[in-house]
Amino acid sequence: MTDQIVEKVAVQTEESRNQGRRAFLKGSAAVAGGVLFTKAASAAEGAGYDPKKAVAPYAGKQELTEVLQDGAARKTLGFGVRKYPYGMPSPFEKEVQRRTLEWLTPDSMASITMTPLQSLHGIITPNGLHFERFHGGVPTINPDEHRLVIHGLVERPLIFTMDDLKRFPSVSRIHFVECPANGAMEWKGVQLNSVQWTHGMMSCVEYTGVRLSDLLKEAGIKPEGKWIIPEGADAAGLTRSIPIDLAMDDCFVAYAQNGEALRREQGYPIRLVVPGCEANMWVKYLRRIQVHDVPAQHREETSKYTELMPDGTAQRFSWYMEPNSVITYPSPDFKMQGPGKYYVRGLAWSGRGKVAHVDVSFDGGKNWKEAHFTSPVLDKAWTRFEVEWEWDGSEAFLMSRVTDETGYVQPPMPQMRTLEGTNNVYHRTAMVTWRVHAWEDGKNGGMIENVQY
Amino acid sequence: MFSTNKTLIAAAVATLFAGSASAMSGSSDGASGEKINGKYAANYEEIIRAADGKYLDAKVIEAILGKDATYGREGLEGKLDPANPYSFEVEDSIDGGNHGNAQCKIPAAFVEVHDSAKANYYNDSKFVARGFGTPIAESALAKWNIVVDGDGKGLPDASVGMTVEEGAKIYVQFCGMCHGEFGEGAKGYLPLAVDENLITSAFDDPAPMKTVGNYWPYATTLFDYIRRTMPFWTPNAPFIGDKGYMGIVGYILQSNYVKLDENGTEIQDDDFFNSEMLMKANKFMKNQGNFFCDHRPVIHNERCMTNCPDAQVGDGKGDIHHYKQARRLPDGTPQYNVPQRMHEDPPGVGHSGM
Ligand code: HEC
Repeated sequence: MTDQIVEKVAVQTEESRNQGRRAFLKGSAAVAGGVLFTKAASAAEGAGYDPKKAVAPYAGKQELTEVLQDGAARKTLGFGVRKYPYGMPSPFEKEVQRRTLEWLTPDSMASITMTPLQSLHGIITPNGLHFERFHGGVPTINPDEHRLVIHGLVERPLIFTMDDLKRFPSVSRIHFVECPANGAMEWKGVQLNSVQWTHGMMSCVEYTGVRLSDLLKEAGIKPEGKWIIPEGADAAGLTRSIPIDLAMDDCFVAYAQNGEALRREQGYPIRLVVPGCEANMWVKYLRRIQVHDVPAQHREETSKYTELMPDGTAQRFSWYMEPNSVITYPSPDFKMQGPGKYYVRGLAWSGRGKVAHVDVSFDGGKNWKEAHFTSPVLDKAWTRFEVEWEWDGSEAFLMSRVTDETGYVQPPMPQMRTLEGTNNVYHRTAMVTWRVHAWEDGKNGGMIENVQY
Repeated sequence: MFSTNKTLIAAAVATLFAGSASAMSGSSDGASGEKINGKYAANYEEIIRAADGKYLDAKVIEAILGKDATYGREGLEGKLDPANPYSFEVEDSIDGGNHGNAQCKIPAAFVEVHDSAKANYYNDSKFVARGFGTPIAESALAKWNIVVDGDGKGLPDASVGMTVEEGAKIYVQFCGMCHGEFGEGAKGYLPLAVDENLITSAFDDPAPMKTVGNYWPYATTLFDYIRRTMPFWTPNAPFIGDKGYMGIVGYILQSNYVKLDENGTEIQDDDFFNSEMLMKANKFMKNQGNFFCDHRPVIHNERCMTNCPDAQVGDGKGDIHHYKQARRLPDGTPQYNVPQRMHEDPPGVGHSGM
């Protein structure tokens, strides 16, 4: 009853926010009225917070009686300032690491590590845990010597120092960055039990940089300049072709990541940010942008980053990352702690805009419960969701399903497989399933396992 | 000219729409009744804006494309038509044969992207340059700009090259240890000439290796890429030079049995391989014409909350106990982030070469 009223008030406030000032005043009157009403209603139910209610769930649990001793931390002084001029995580967090699978690639200079999503909270990935993907190892570039050139079909080819770039108006935005091969290992079935392996080829950080449209316009793009070809200064000299409309949408050249300079692994001193699109397009160590009339058809958009379909045809220039979501807690790195209440959490994101809804199923997709968001809901960024679940201790099949603001609903795996086959390598964005073993299931009781429909 | 899968699909699309034009005329009509090519609602922008910008909502797509062109395989094929507001295709990229440089675009229906490009660029009449950069001559980029595009712009002139036999020697010296003497691959490095069938026979079969012959649509890519990045440890090597890279390209194309004309003329050991030959081969890459622009999404589900249809539950037939599991540890427990798992052999389902 009370809940319903509060909900109604919330709706009124929401509406009033969308109206003019006068309507707003009217709206606040409604809120005031609503609050009074709410109070009256709860009084009728009897008296606010009841401390006795805290007792019930603990009835029957063994009480601890042993006197607690002071630990070492209480009895000796800790370390002083500047022991770590650049701070590091507690040694107890040493298992929280980027990881790779040695069999994925023949050497470490053209390889990938995954972010430990199971250990992250909120929507920001710490810089040291940002996933890595290299095609020619990580260079250590002196920013004083690094330059960015914009040339090709422009009125006036220009060269910029890093200081030049920082003089331009800046933008700071939080975006996810995802390798389109994220989830690639799961096309043929499940392989490994961790969200780090199933979804860890992505991260989400705050970038600061210069709008690409500002830089391109500065050089004077000619009307026949329909594509840009960004290129890296590393051994891979990586190139992609990006259509001008996409370049002018919301791309930028970033020099900072989570408030500090980019890390070398992520493109120090500058990288391209192409929000919502394949991370392979976010060229690192950016040194040159060539404005061109046609796409270059380079290796990263022909041999790689194209998707093979069952009939032998292949899809190319698949820039956007489809909406996707995953439950990070509980997930295979955890074990259930017994039947009872859980707050199921996870991440949802969309390459085409904001997340609109996340629904969670506990029965393999038959019924769904809408989750709420515990983080800000930002454009092309991770969104953290949470939903309450009363686990009765029986076997369960957990799935999450995102709907984004364009109206796209994340599909189940059998549907995606039927249509796109299993040889794509990239863009496997269908739902995953965590099987929760029944509590009374011998030594596996309460284990959480990655299974695939 | 080429009877590729792509041309077959294009033909199928034509029949599809010929057959369904009348069936679609009722519901998919826009307010104005106008249609693009007699197929799609011309007022798609209005429809999208009226639906709060939800351009991927199942109902919005259906109102614009009509039911037939919306879902699954047909939705995919419908998007090979550049006039389809959801298509990434550009007219000149449906090319089943001797192609020029194929293009893709942002679909017209992605209205917010176009709105933003207009605001930031096309309609930005207030633009004033800030003057923070320094002008640079195009000629100062002679070393940096080594881009070769799909049309062959950027290739060295025809005097640069060597015989395929000489190219093979350089390849064996600098590339063979990683990619195999005949391009068969070595030590886990990518093969460059393996002729596997790309058509799926069973979903559980290992994914086919995609190499220059059976997959790459352009020969120009090969010259650009190997001059740019190979040999892996010493990219863009002066001791190989444009001449040497050209010879290697000749050898790799020969190893992949790429032809030079309609008559099936093969690349010979004593052919002087240069940019002219490369551009001939570029027209006869075996898998060209089998590529098409992004077609996603082609799944448009409704957001179901209770008692969802079997097709969306469990195995796609309503069974939630029918699933695949990962391999288990010898004692039968599921495998987690454990060291013994991370150093194990590949599971053998072919995901190499991401
Ligand atoms: C040390 C081992 C090594 C040597 C030597 C080497 N390569 Fe590579 N090659 C690689 C690696 C690693 C990759 C993949 C790079 C990546 O992942 O981006 C690669 C990729 C390629 C590709 C792209 C394959 C595809 O399917 O996309 C081609 C073509 C190629 N190399 C040609 C050459 C040529 C030609 C030479 C000699 C001039 C050469 N390589 C020498 C390791 C090597």
